[in-house]
Amino acid sequence: MNFSARINAVLAVLLAALIALPLAVTSNFAYDILIRILLFAFIGTSWNLLGGYAKQFSLGHAAFFGLGAYTSSLLQINYGVSPWLGMLAGGVVAMLASLPIGWLCFRLRGPYFTIATIATAQVLMLVFLKFRDFAWGAEGTTMPNLGSAPLMMQFEGKAPYYYVALGLLLLSLVVTFYISRSRTGYYLLALGEDQDAAEAVGIDVPGEKRNIFMVSAFLTAMGGTFYVQYIYFIDPNTAFNFDVSIKAALVSIVGGVGTLFGPLIGTVLLETTAALLQSWLGNQAGVQVTVYALILMAIILWRPTGIMGFAKEFLLRKKLRATP
Amino acid sequence: MPEALVVKDLSKRFGGLRAVQDVSLTVRENETLALIGPNGAGKTTAFNLIMGFYRPDAGSVVAFGRELTGLRPHDVCKHGLARTFQVAKPFGGMTVLENVMTGAFLRDRHPGSARDKAREAIAFVGLSTKENVAARDLTTIDQRRLEMARALATQPKLLLLDEVMAGLNPTEVDQAVALVHRLAERGLTIVIVEHLMRAVMAVAKHIVVLDHGQKIAEGSPNDVMANPEVIRAYLGSTAAR
Amino acid sequence: MLETVTQAVINGLLIGGIYALVSIGVTLIFGVVKIVNFAQGEFVMIGMYITFFLATQLGMDPIVSLVVSMPVLFVIGLGVQHFLIRRVLGLNDLPQIFLTFALSLLILNVALMVLTPNYRTLHTSYSDAALHFGGFYVPVAKLIAFGVAMLLSAILWVFLHTTDLGRAMRAASQNRDVAQLMGINPHRVFAVALGIALALAGAAGSLLMPFYPAYPMVGQVFVLMAFVAVVLGTLGNVMGALVASLLMGIAESLGIQFIGADSGLIVVFLLLLITLAVKPSGLAA
Repeated sequence: MNFSARINAVLAVLLAALIALPLAVTSNFAYDILIRILLFAFIGTSWNLLGGYAKQFSLGHAAFFGLGAYTSSLLQINYGVSPWLGMLAGGVVAMLASLPIGWLCFRLRGPYFTIATIATAQVLMLVFLKFRDFAWGAEGTTMPNLGSAPLMMQFEGKAPYYYVALGLLLLSLVVTFYISRSRTGYYLLALGEDQDAAEAVGIDVPGEKRNIFMVSAFLTAMGGTFYVQYIYFIDPNTAFNFDVSIKAALVSIVGGVGTLFGPLIGTVLLETTAALLQSWLGNQAGVQVTVYALILMAIILWRPTGIMGFAKEFLLRKKLRATP
Repeated sequence: MPEALVVKDLSKRFGGLRAVQDVSLTVRENETLALIGPNGAGKTTAFNLIMGFYRPDAGSVVAFGRELTGLRPHDVCKHGLARTFQVAKPFGGMTVLENVMTGAFLRDRHPGSARDKAREAIAFVGLSTKENVAARDLTTIDQRRLEMARALATQPKLLLLDEVMAGLNPTEVDQAVALVHRLAERGLTIVIVEHLMRAVMAVAKHIVVLDHGQKIAEGSPNDVMANPEVIRAYLGSTAAR
Repeated sequence: MLETVTQAVINGLLIGGIYALVSIGVTLIFGVVKIVNFAQGEFVMIGMYITFFLATQLGMDPIVSLVVSMPVLFVIGLGVQHFLIRRVLGLNDLPQIFLTFALSLLILNVALMVLTPNYRTLHTSYSDAALHFGGFYVPVAKLIAFGVAMLLSAILWVFLHTTDLGRAMRAASQNRDVAQLMGINPHRVFAVALGIALALAGAAGSLLMPFYPAYPMVGQVFVLMAFVAVVLGTLGNVMGALVASLLMGIAESLGIQFIGADSGLIVVFLLLLITLAVKPSGLAA
C-alpha cells in the first residue's frame, strides 16, 4: 500500500470509530468532553480557513459564533422557526456581517488586523448587552425545553448532539479539503505569504480575503447555533465570549495552521489536557488557561508549524533514514 | 511595430517628494527597453505606477490598446503584464512548483493543467530539479529565476523586470542575460530596470534614463551614454557604476 | 448642560492620562521593536498589585511606590525582550502576534490562581478628596495620577529627543537600516524600549491604585484602550498616542455621561471603527 492509500485507510478506520463511539460512552461527563472537542475542532477548522490558509489572524470569531447563536434563538423563540433553519439563517447573517467587518478590518495588516477583529466582536457583545428589548439584554434567556424534538434540534440523551457536532466537524473538513485542493487554496496560501506578490500574479487579494472570510463566518455561526441548543441557554457573555475567539485560534496554532487536520489535533490535545487537569485539580480558576498559554508559548518558540508540522518533519526524517 | 506600452505624462508625489514627474515612454512590441538612472531616480516607482501598485496623480498607462490607469495590480496582470520585484518576494512556505502554479492559475483554474503549465515555465528558467524545494530555501539567483517563472506562468505579453541582476556574481549575470535574451526570442516585450550597465548594453537596444523622477534622455545605448546630461546625472550621484 | 459636559471632559481627561501611559508604552514597543505587546495590560495589573501589597504590608504610599513598581517592571521588560521577544524577531506575523498574546493569557491566569479573582481596593488619605473649581469637581487622586502621567510622558519625550539612546530609538522606529548605520546594538535598544514601556505600565498601575480596584482582568480594559489610541494616533507615534489617549478618555467619559454607564467602551470602539473606515492610516498621518 502506498503512503496516501495508507492514510486514507487510517482515516476511514478513525471515522468508523468516531461513529461507533457512542456505543461505548455512558457517562455524561465523557459526552460533554467529546462534544466540546468536536465543536471546538469544528470552529477551529472554520477559523483555519481564514487564519491558517490566508494568515489573517482573527481574534474576533466570537462575533460570528454569537450572531449564529442569536439568529437561531430569536427565530425560534419569536417565530417558532426550527433551529435547523435558524442555523442556516445564522450562517447567512454572519456571512453578511463579515462583509462590513472585513471591509473595516482588512484595511489593517498583521497585528492591527487582529486588534480590529477583537474590537468588532466586543462591540457586538456590548450591543447585545445594551439592547434589552431586542434580545433579552444581559440576563439572556433559556431555550424552551421541548423534550424530544429532533426537528427542533432537541434530543433526549447526549448521543444525538454528539452526532450533530460530528456532522458539523465533517462538513468543515470536507469544505476545507475541497478549498485546499482548488485554485482558491493555492491563492489563500500565496496571499498569506505575501500580498503584493500575490497581486502581481493576478490574485484579487481583497476579493479572496472577503470570500474566505464569508465562508469562515458562515461555518462559525453554525457552531454558535448548535452550542446554544446544546446548553439550552443564551446571553451575550456566552454567545460572544472572547474565549471562543481565543480557542478557535489556539487549537489551530497548536495543531498546525493551514493544515486540514491541525485544528482537530490541537483541540484533542488541549481539551484532553483540560479534562485531565480538571479531574486532578478540580475547577480552580486559571489553571486550564495557564496550561494552554504555556503550550501555546512552547509551540511558538520551538515548533511554530504546530504538531502537524512536527509530524511531517518526523515522517520525512524516518523516510530519509529508511532510504539511505 | 505596434505599440505594446504607452506611458504618458505619468506623475506621482509622496508628500513633498516628486518621485515621478511627467514621464512618457513608448515600448514597441517585441522590444526590450531598459529603464536606467541613479538610485532614487523613480524607476521602481514607475514600475509600481504601471502595474497598479500606486495610483498615479496624473498621466495615463495604455498597454496593447487598453487603458490601465487606476486598475488594481491583479487586473493589470490579467491584461498581460507581469513583473518581478527588486527584492524577490517568493511565497516562502510554498514549494517552487506551488509558487509557479499560483501564476499559472490566472489563465487556467484547474490544478492539474495549471501544474503542467507551471512545470513548463520552471523548465524554461532552469529550475526543474528544485521543483519541490520550499521557495525560502532557494539561493538568490534561484529566487530570481522563480520570480521570472511565476511571472511567465501568467502568460504575459509584457514583462517588467526590476533589477533582476542585483546581487548576482559575474557568471550568474551572464546566465541571467541569456535568460532575458531567450524571453525576448519567445516574442515577449520586456522593460528592464537595471543598474548594471554591462547587462543593460547586452539586452536593450532602447534606453530611457530617469533622474530625480524625470526623463532626461532616451535613445540607443551609444546615444544615451554620450549624452552629457546622463553623464552628469551619474557622476553627480553615488551610483556611477 | 454645558457644565455637565465640562465635568465629563474633566473626568475623561484625567483618566486619559493613565491611558496615555499604557498606550505610549504600546506604541514605543511597536515603533522600535515592531511587535504589538498584547500583554501590556497585564503589566499594568502587576504594577497595581505591587502597589497594593506595598501599601497594605509596609504602609507605603501609592505614589511613593512608583520608585519600586517602575524599576521592577523595567527589569521584567528587559527579561521579556531577552527571553521571549528576541526569539521571534524577523519571523512572520503568527509568532509575533501570538507570543505576547500567550504571555498575556499566562500572566492573567497565574494571577487568577495566585491572587484569586477578588477585587482589592486601597484607601488613601486622598482617595476621596476633591478640589472644587468654580462648581467643577476634581478628584485629588486622579489629578495626581494625571500630573505624574504627564510628567513621565514629558521625561520620556526629553529622553527620546536629547540622549543618544533616545535618538537611536526614534531612528529605529522610523527606519531600521538607519539605526543599524548609526552603529547601535539593536538588542540593547529593543531591551531598553521594552523596559521603558513596561515601567510606564507599572507607573500606570501604581497611579490607578488609590481610586481603581485591582483584579486579575483589570489590564484588559486598559490594553484595549491603548490599542485603540495607538491606531488612532498612528502606529509608532508617541505624541499621537498621547493625544489620542486623552481624546479617548474624554470620549469614553462623554459616552458614560450621555448614553449610559456601560457604553464607554462602545463609544471608544466605534471611534476606532469609524476612524478605520474614514482614515485607515490614523489621525496623525
